[in-house]
Amino acid sequence: MKTARALAATLAALLPLAAAPAQAQTVFRQAHEVGFGQASSLDPASRGRVFQVTEKIMSRLIRPGLDGKPAPDLAESWSANADATEWTLKLRQGVKFHDGRPFTAEDAVWSLTRVMDPKTDSPARALLAVIKSVEAPDATTLKLTLTGPFADLPLVLTDYRLMMLPKDSGETIGRTGMGTGPFRVERFDAAGTTTLAANPDYFEGRPGVARMEVIGIPDAQARFQALLGGQIDMLPGLGRQERALVERSPRHRLQEVPTGNWRGIVFRADQKPFDDVRVRKALRLAVDRKAMRDLAVGPDGGITGCDTPISPTDQYRAEGECAQDIAGARRLLAEAGYPNGIDIELSVSTVEAVWPVIGEIYQQQVVAAGIRVKLVQEPADGYWNRVWMKKPAVMTRWNERPADAMLNEIWRSTSRWNESGFNDPAFDALLDSARREIDFAKPAPSTSRRSNT
Amino acid sequence: MLAYALRRIVLGLLTVLLVSAMIFFAVEALPGDACTAVLQRDAHGQRLENCRREMGLDRPAVARYLDWIGGAIRGDLDASAGSGKPITELVGARLANTLLLAGLSMAVGVPLALLLGVVTALARDRAADLALSTAAILAMTIPEFVTATLLIFTFSVWLGWVPGIVLASADAPVSALFPTIWLPVAVLTMVMTAHILRTVRSSMIDVMEGEFVQMARLKGVPAWRVVWRHALPSALLPAINVVALTVAWLLGGVVVVEKVFNYPGLGRFMVDSITERDLPVVQGLALVVASAYVGVNLAADLLALLLDPRLRTARLRA
Repeated sequence: MKTARALAATLAALLPLAAAPAQAQTVFRQAHEVGFGQASSLDPASRGRVFQVTEKIMSRLIRPGLDGKPAPDLAESWSANADATEWTLKLRQGVKFHDGRPFTAEDAVWSLTRVMDPKTDSPARALLAVIKSVEAPDATTLKLTLTGPFADLPLVLTDYRLMMLPKDSGETIGRTGMGTGPFRVERFDAAGTTTLAANPDYFEGRPGVARMEVIGIPDAQARFQALLGGQIDMLPGLGRQERALVERSPRHRLQEVPTGNWRGIVFRADQKPFDDVRVRKALRLAVDRKAMRDLAVGPDGGITGCDTPISPTDQYRAEGECAQDIAGARRLLAEAGYPNGIDIELSVSTVEAVWPVIGEIYQQQVVAAGIRVKLVQEPADGYWNRVWMKKPAVMTRWNERPADAMLNEIWRSTSRWNESGFNDPAFDALLDSARREIDFAKPAPSTSRRSNT
Repeated sequence: MLAYALRRIVLGLLTVLLVSAMIFFAVEALPGDACTAVLQRDAHGQRLENCRREMGLDRPAVARYLDWIGGAIRGDLDASAGSGKPITELVGARLANTLLLAGLSMAVGVPLALLLGVVTALARDRAADLALSTAAILAMTIPEFVTATLLIFTFSVWLGWVPGIVLASADAPVSALFPTIWLPVAVLTMVMTAHILRTVRSSMIDVMEGEFVQMARLKGVPAWRVVWRHALPSALLPAINVVALTVAWLLGGVVVVEKVFNYPGLGRFMVDSITERDLPVVQGLALVVASAYVGVNLAADLLALLLDPRLRTARLRA
């Protein structure tokens, strides 16, 4: 039901501190794209959260480790009962908010229940649907009771929107950004320069730089100019041409960081002709994913996956083989009753500049298998509610999520954002059983099964 | 003459009204509305209905247009769909920034253009004229974003004299815009100087061949005085309209230049609002910019009327 997706590898350019102006030794500056414009906020649970700031001033209970596994943040350790329906988290002691107030289990209870409250209307609320209740038996213990077994709860708690805030700060948090993170807010100005000062009391010690500046620069070109001109010290997400410029610069250093953000083509499994699994398989077999990646974003622009949406940094990532097989695709189409090939419409849009490119490459690649694609240009305005989830074949994009969140959000039959209309009780049952599986080695089968569907 | 002026003002108002209707119904014709634009993937069911009711999108378009234009006349352009802040307030700070940019560019550009225009006209077809005229054509025809990028690379990346990108937000104090304002001013000055220079040059050449200038020369008036007292005032008349167009262009927020330099003015606000699909803001800004165009052109026509006795009497006779 899905085909041809490239997982983006994010490139970041760093300005080595030594080569930058003298002040950069104590100030580290980066940009953000002001993606939420006027609605920008320091409330991590709000729609307008500026995560480039909240990630520096707040802490979660559990943070994503570099190995893709959950690592301690404000929770030092955690454990579950035998069937993974009750979780107990031991909180770090002696942690203080920026205003000196101690962080306690009460704050953690408030922070989580606030996100769970429908009135808060947080985009992160769906993540916590598995939690029935949050309690604080004592000041350093947090007890989470779930609606069912869920082995990957710690991974859910690593979400960047589930920050620990001081109790009852809902009214002010969007402006104050009060947290326990390594930096505290001096001045919040989303469209201009937000300045942060090192928090000397940070529980992992004072950070290495005295100050940070997060500067709003909406235009990608302007951000890059600012990097070249030494007005910012770091810029993630470089394109092909920008990469070439930075590679030659003696003042910059290039870093490659894999991410799990992906682009793909979705076919509605509940609409003709894609309701036939043989047609869906043919659509997947006919594509040359590597060639598509090379043409669309360049060999360094991302990696290809065999329709596995799981980040390469995720412990549950399953690799597979999915070479182009034109003859196989033709055979499957013939079996499905299309011996003379099939005509389909694919909706593309400039919501992302790369979408129409992917669409054209797909069109060229699969024509040999008798799949004649007609590209339909849809307006970017209203794309998400008029085209996506409605038209039979459309472009989509998702940002990185832990494996459990990704699979449950996009392919569980009852999920609101089940964009392909995929409905397989056996797959839902596998998702459930994966949630019960506390042994880390075991949930993998469900992901590999997905990619074979 | 007064009647003529009044007629022009009424016509100007009618133009703005017509443009406002075009803006409103063009935005109306877009697929989706302010709510689907803001909610994106969440735009369905109850949430969409609530949003539409809150923003009054469930009412007929004509009624909403009348409300909108009525508000605009009172100086109330509705609220931004993104932040809920009044658009008039958001526009205010950015308009001031754009005015500063425009004002500085004009303060440098207009005198420079007049001077160079006279110099090129007097040195017609000689080396100075050829060099300056070629430079002017280049400055006019190279797109602003190319000029801007070249200036940033030269003065910010390579020489490191001035910072390339403006990092201040819209409501930052004016002092925060310096010294980053100089590169955008330089780009704008180049383009507008070129435009005005060419008009001044050709009209100066015409005037210098006029009979009254010949007469002044024959009478033995010193050369500088012929240029300054006799030729220049007549040559300036056609330039007024070009200056007016340039001013309107600057007031509209020079979208490309503001975007490239991240300058927090009206132009960037327009682009950002389009990216955010904040339709009420886009609509309001379009109206503000259209009014600025009509207003400045009206002012230029009235000014020309005041300065040119021939125009004045011609209108009177008609």
